[in-house]
Amino acid sequence: MLMGGRSSNFKPFVIGMSDFSEELKGPVTDDEVETSVLTGAGMHFPWLQTYVETVAIGGKRKKDFAQTTSACLSFVQEALLKHQWQQAAEYMYSYFQTLEDSDSYKRQAAPEIIWKLGSEILFYHPKSNVETFNTFADRMKNIGVMNYLKISLQHALYLLHHGMLEDAKRNLSEAETWRHGENTSSRGILINLIQAYKGLLQYYTWSKKKMELSKLDKDDYAYNAVAQDVFNHSWKTSANISALIKIPGVWDPFVKSYVEMLEFYGDRDGAQEVLTNYAYDEKFPSNPNAHIYLYNFLKRQKAPRSKMISVLKILYQIVPSHKLMLEFHTLLRKSEKEEHHKLGLEVLFGVLDFAGCTKNITAWKYLAKYLKKTLMGNHLAWVQDEWNSRKNWWPSFHFSYFWAKSDWKEDTALACEKAFVAGLLLGKGCRYFRYILKQDHQILGKKIKRMKRSVKKYSIVNPRLSY
Amino acid sequence: MDFPHSLRPALFMTGPLGLSDIPDLSFMCSWQHALTLPETQPQNSENGALHVTKDLLWEPATPGPLPMLPSLIGESLIPPGSFHTAPPILPAAPTPETFLSLLSLCSLRALGCLQSPRASGCTPVPSPALSVTSSSDPWDPGLTARDLLFRGGYRYRRRPRVVLDVTEQISRFLWDHGDVAFAPLGKLMLENFKLEGAGSRTKKTTVVSVKKLLQDLGGHQPWGCPWAYLSNRQRRFSILGGPILGTSVASHLAELLHEELVLRWEQLLLDEACTGGALAWVPGRTPQFGQLVYPAGGALDRLHFQEVVLSPGDSPQFLGNPGRIQLQGPVRQVVTCTVQGETLLAVRSDYHCAVWKFGKQWQPSLLQAMQVEKGATGISLSPHLPGELAICSRSGAVCLWSPEDGLQQVYKDPETLVFRDSSSWRWADFTAHPRVLTVGDRTGVKMVDTQGPPGCGLLLFRVGAEASCQKGERVLLTQYLGHSSSECLPPTLHLVCTQFSLYLVDERLPLVPMLKWNHGLPSPLLLARLLPPPRPGCVQPLLLGGQGGQLQLLHLAGEGASVPRLAGPPQSLPSRTDSLPAFPLLEPKIQWRLQERLKAPTIGLAAVVPPLPSAPTPGLVLFQLSAAGDVFYQQLRPQADSDHRRDSGPRSDTESDCRAPTASWTSQDTAGCSQWLKALLKVPLAPPVWTAPTFTHRQLLGSIELRREEEEGQRLDVLRKAMAQGRLLLQRDLGSLPAAEPPPAPESGPEDKLSERLGEAWAGRGAAWWERQQGRTSGPGRQPRRPKRRTQLSSTFSLSGHMDPSEDTSPPHSPEWPPADALPQPPMTPPSQELTPDACAQGVPAERRQMLHDYMAKLPPQRGTPGCATTPPSSQASSVWTTRSQQHTPILSGSQRPRKKPRMGF
Repeated sequence: MLMGGRSSNFKPFVIGMSDFSEELKGPVTDDEVETSVLTGAGMHFPWLQTYVETVAIGGKRKKDFAQTTSACLSFVQEALLKHQWQQAAEYMYSYFQTLEDSDSYKRQAAPEIIWKLGSEILFYHPKSNVETFNTFADRMKNIGVMNYLKISLQHALYLLHHGMLEDAKRNLSEAETWRHGENTSSRGILINLIQAYKGLLQYYTWSKKKMELSKLDKDDYAYNAVAQDVFNHSWKTSANISALIKIPGVWDPFVKSYVEMLEFYGDRDGAQEVLTNYAYDEKFPSNPNAHIYLYNFLKRQKAPRSKMISVLKILYQIVPSHKLMLEFHTLLRKSEKEEHHKLGLEVLFGVLDFAGCTKNITAWKYLAKYLKKTLMGNHLAWVQDEWNSRKNWWPSFHFSYFWAKSDWKEDTALACEKAFVAGLLLGKGCRYFRYILKQDHQILGKKIKRMKRSVKKYSIVNPRLSY
Repeated sequence: MDFPHSLRPALFMTGPLGLSDIPDLSFMCSWQHALTLPETQPQNSENGALHVTKDLLWEPATPGPLPMLPSLIGESLIPPGSFHTAPPILPAAPTPETFLSLLSLCSLRALGCLQSPRASGCTPVPSPALSVTSSSDPWDPGLTARDLLFRGGYRYRRRPRVVLDVTEQISRFLWDHGDVAFAPLGKLMLENFKLEGAGSRTKKTTVVSVKKLLQDLGGHQPWGCPWAYLSNRQRRFSILGGPILGTSVASHLAELLHEELVLRWEQLLLDEACTGGALAWVPGRTPQFGQLVYPAGGALDRLHFQEVVLSPGDSPQFLGNPGRIQLQGPVRQVVTCTVQGETLLAVRSDYHCAVWKFGKQWQPSLLQAMQVEKGATGISLSPHLPGELAICSRSGAVCLWSPEDGLQQVYKDPETLVFRDSSSWRWADFTAHPRVLTVGDRTGVKMVDTQGPPGCGLLLFRVGAEASCQKGERVLLTQYLGHSSSECLPPTLHLVCTQFSLYLVDERLPLVPMLKWNHGLPSPLLLARLLPPPRPGCVQPLLLGGQGGQLQLLHLAGEGASVPRLAGPPQSLPSRTDSLPAFPLLEPKIQWRLQERLKAPTIGLAAVVPPLPSAPTPGLVLFQLSAAGDVFYQQLRPQADSDHRRDSGPRSDTESDCRAPTASWTSQDTAGCSQWLKALLKVPLAPPVWTAPTFTHRQLLGSIELRREEEEGQRLDVLRKAMAQGRLLLQRDLGSLPAAEPPPAPESGPEDKLSERLGEAWAGRGAAWWERQQGRTSGPGRQPRRPKRRTQLSSTFSLSGHMDPSEDTSPPHSPEWPPADALPQPPMTPPSQELTPDACAQGVPAERRQMLHDYMAKLPPQRGTPGCATTPPSSQASSVWTTRSQQHTPILSGSQRPRKKPRMGF
C-alpha cells in the first residue's frame, strides 16, 4: 500500500460517484494471513493472485467491471513500457471509469494510480505541454483528497524542473495552507517538506538577487531596494527550512542553501550548529555529504587544523575512498603529531584499496613519496602494519604483470609511481618493478635509475639494507 | 572517487517494514527521476530540462526473439578446436573449520569432465538436425497451481484462499504407487505375524495364508490396476486389518504428502534455484567472437560452449556444434568474469561448485570443483582479483574461495540478518573493496570485511522503513554493479531487487537507497545485467528479467558527482511468447506443445554490446535461456531520433505517433523458426514412465471387423494407428467416407412454420395444417429419430474407447497432452458389448456384488463411468474390464490416472 495515513475516517469524495454510502474500508487482512501461513514467513507474492485465478477456486468472483478496469490498467502499463504514449493516453481515458468502482478499496486506490500513470504519460507525451499537465494535476489533487499534498509537491517539482519558479512557489503556498481531516504525523512531515521546498525556491530567488547585488555598485540607486529584498527573503527561508532539517533524513540541498544564507548574514555559529547537527546526530543516516559540508565550512572559516582533522577522521571511517582523503593526508602530513603521521600512511593505503581509485596517480605519487619518507624516518613498523593485511592481495590486485604492461601502455607516469611502491613493498624481485625497469624510456630513464637506487636502499623486504 | 555533491532529499525512518504512517517520498514514478533541482544558479534550470529527458528507446529488430540455430556455413571460419580435459589442479588442503569439503581428484567425477565431441577425433558435424538436439529435449512444464490447489468452494470470501489439495493427491498416490504405500507395512507385518489359527472354526472363512497375503500386499500390482488381484483372501484380510492399516498408512502418508506439497507449492511460488541466471557470455579474442555458456539437456546437466560471431547489422551466427561438458547435476548458475585479461567461468549446481579457466586456445580447463554439503545458493566471481570467488550455502555460511589458497570462511550465521525469515536462501557478492563482501538473504544485505573480526559488518540494505518497504517485501536478488568498469556509474553501487521494487544502494551511504523504482514485473525478478554504455553518452542499460519471461530495460545515469538516476522511461522488451507468429501454422496439439515450450521460465540472461568499430549505430544482442534448454536471441537498436524527440518540440502526428513497432518477421526469420521447430518435433516425446495397458481389442474387434466391409476395416486401422501415435486424425486418412447419415435437420424455426402455414392456408388447407401441427408437437411423432442417432454415436465412441484407453489414462504430466480435464472423457465400455457375465462374476463374489454395486452407484458421474451405474448388478463393469486386461498388460509402474475413487479396502 502506497497510501499513507489512516483512511478509516474519510469518506470518499469522488466526482461522479453514484454511491457515497459505503464506508471506506482498509484492505481485508484476514485472507492474507491465511495465505502467508501456508506460504510461510509472511512473504508476499504478487503473482499468487494469477495462480489462484487459474484454478478458479471459489472466492468472490470478479465483476465484469473489475475485469474490464484491470484489463484496461494492464493495457496502459503495457503501452507505457513500449513508449506508446498516444495509445497509453487513449487507454487512460477509459481507465478513468475506475473512479466509479463500487469496490471501495479500489476506488480509494484509483486516484493514486491514475495520477502516477497519467502524470507519466503527460510527462513524456510529445504533444503534451505544461498547461495540460497543470490542468491534470489540479484535477487530480481534488479527486481523492488523500493525495492532495503529494500531488501538489510533485506538481511543484515538475514546474521547477521546467523552470517555472513562480508557479511552483504559488503551488507550494497553496498546499502549505491546505487543511483537511485529522492531522497525522505523516502529513506533518509532508507539510514540512513542502515548506522546505518553498524555502528552497526562495533561496533560488535570493541567490539570484544576490548575484544582481554583487553586480551593482553600492552607489547605485537600485542597490538599497535589492538589498532589502535579499534580507526579506532570508528571514522567510530560514523559517521554512529549519523545521524540516530537524527530522532525520537526507536533506542535502536544503542544508546547503540554508547554510549559505546563514553564512552570508554572518551567523557562523548558527551555520555551524546546523551542520554539526546534520553530521553528528545519531538519528540521521551516516551521510558523507554532511561531513563534507562541515569540512568545507570549516575550511572556509579557516578553522584550526586539528578541528578539520577530526572532521575528516570521521569521513575517513565512513568513506575511505573519498577524494578528500588526499587532502586529509596532506593535513596529517603537515601535523606535528606522530600518530597523525602514521594515520597519514594508513589513509593513503586505504584510498588505494578501492577498485575505483587504482589509477589515481596523485594517490600513488603521495604514497611513493610518503613511503620513502616513512622508511627513511625509521618507521618500518608502520609500513609493516599496513602491509601485513594487504600483502596477500595487493600484489595481484595492483602489481600483477598484466597491470605492469597495461599501465605502462596507458600512463607511464602512473606505472613509474606504482613500480616504485611495488619495489619498496615487494623488493626488487617484484614483477611489476622488473617490468618497468626493463622498459627503455629516454625521459624517464634517470628517474627509473633513481628509483632503483631507492628501492635497493629502503625496500622493506630486506630491511637490513635500509639501516 | 567522487561522492554525489547533493543527494536527493529523503526521509530516514527506522523501523519494521510496512509502516503505513510514513509518507513514501520516493514517489516511484519514472519521470520523477528525470527531475532535477536547479543547482545554486537558478538559470541552470532552463537548460536542465533539455539534457535530461532523453527518450531512450531500443527498437527490436524483430517483433520477438529468435531461436538459436547453429549454422554449418560458419564452420570453416573457425579452426576446429578441441576442449582439453585438463588435469585438474589438485585442490588445496581443505580447511577443517569450513563446512565445505574440497573434493579430491577422484571425486571430480561429481562434476566430471567428458571429452567434447569435437575433441574425440575431430569428427565432422554429423547433421544439422542433431546439433539442435539440445533444444529439442522433451519439456515438461512441471507442476502447476492447477495440480496443487484445491478447486473447492469457499464462497463468500473477498479473496480466494489458497488450499492445497491433499485429498486428491493422496488418492492419486494410493492409486499410482500402491506398492510404495503398502509394501513396507506388509513387510513389517510379515515379520511379526503368527501363523496360528484356531482349528475349530471353518478354515474357509477365517483362515488365510498370511504369508502369501502379505507378500501380495508387498504390493507389486503387476497388472497395473489395483483391482487386478482382488481375491478372496485379500478381501478377507482387508476386513480383518482394515481399521489398523487404513488409519496408520493414511495418516502417515498424508503427513508426508502434505509436507511435499507445501514444498512444491513454495517452489512454484518462488523457484530460487536459478537466481542469477545460468547463461553467460564469454568474450573471445576479438570483439566479434564470443562464446555462450549455458546448460542443456533435459536435466540441464550438460554445459554447452557455443561459439558466436557478431556482425554489425546482422543477426549473430552460431558456429558449429557447441563444445560440451557433461556434469552430474543440474546447472543452476553460470558466472563469468574477465579480470586482468584472464577469463574465468564459475558454475553452481545444487550441491557443487566448479571453476574453469579459459586458456589461450579459448578452451575451458577445470581449475577446481567442490562439494557444498548443505546446498549452494549463490556463487560470484571477483571483479578485482583473478580466480577469487564467493560462495554461500544454505547453512548460512559465506566463503571466499580461490583455487590457490582454498577456502576461507568469511561469515556464518544460520539466522537471517534483519528479522526472522524461514528462507535459507543466501547470496554473496563483491564490493568496491576487494576484501569486503556483501552477504544477503531475504531480509537484507550486509557488508562483511573478510579481514575484520568474524560476524561484524554494516547493513547495506534493510527490508524495513529505511527503504520504505511494503509489507511482505523480501529481497530476491542482489548484485554488485561495479563489474563493468566504465566511467558512467561509480563502482560502489549495488542493485537490490524485491518482488515490488528495485533499489540502487551506494555502499558509501548504507541503508538509504539512492534510487527506488517500482518495476511491476508479474513474476520473480531473478535476473539482472548491467551493460556497458553502447556509446560514450554515459547511460548504462540495465536489463531485468522476470522468471515468467518478461524483460525490462532501464537506463542508469550518474556520471561523476551526480546522483544515480533513471534516464528516461523504462522499456519492456519482447518475450519469447511474442515469437509465436513467426512459426508456421500448426496442428492444435503441436501448437500447444510449442506454446508451452515458449512459455518455459527464463533461467538465464546475457547481453552483449558488440564494440564494433564498423557498426554505424551501436547495437545490443540479447540472449536468453529457458528452462526447456532453448537459447533465444534478439537484436536491439537504439531508435534513431531518440535524442531529439523532446527538444525539437511538437511535430506532426504521423511522426510522433508512429511508435508502433516497425519490426516485422523476415522470411529468413520464419525459415529459421520452422527449422528449429522441425528439430523440436523430430525428437519424439520421451515415452511416459507409465505405459498404458493394451487391451484385447483384437479379440473383441475381430468378430466385429469381420462383419464389416473391407473399407471399414481399413478405416479402423488408420484410426487405431493414429491414436497409437497420438496424432490428429485427418480426413484424408479415412479415405472416402461412407455416406454418413445426414446431420439432424435443423429445427424449423418460427419463420419456416409461418411460411409453411401461410402456404397451406393459401391452398385452403389451413385448418388441417393446424391439426397436424398440434398433433406433431404433443404426440410422439418425431421422437424416435433422435435416440436412434444417439445410440449410434455412443457405440462409435465406445469402440474407439476400447481401442485406445490410453487416451484417457494418460499421465497428467505428459507434456503432449493438454490438461486431462480438457480431454473428453470417453465413456467406459459398456460391458455388455465385449464381456460375458461369467467373466464378471469371477472377480467379485456374490455376497459383495450388491455392496459394490451400491458403492458404484454413489460414485460421482464425471469420475466414474456413467455406464457402470446403469449396468445390472451382476455385470460389475469396471472390475471385470480390468480383469480381462490383465492377461495382456505389461508391467505397469509410475503414475496412472485413477478412473475411480480409490477404495482402500485393505
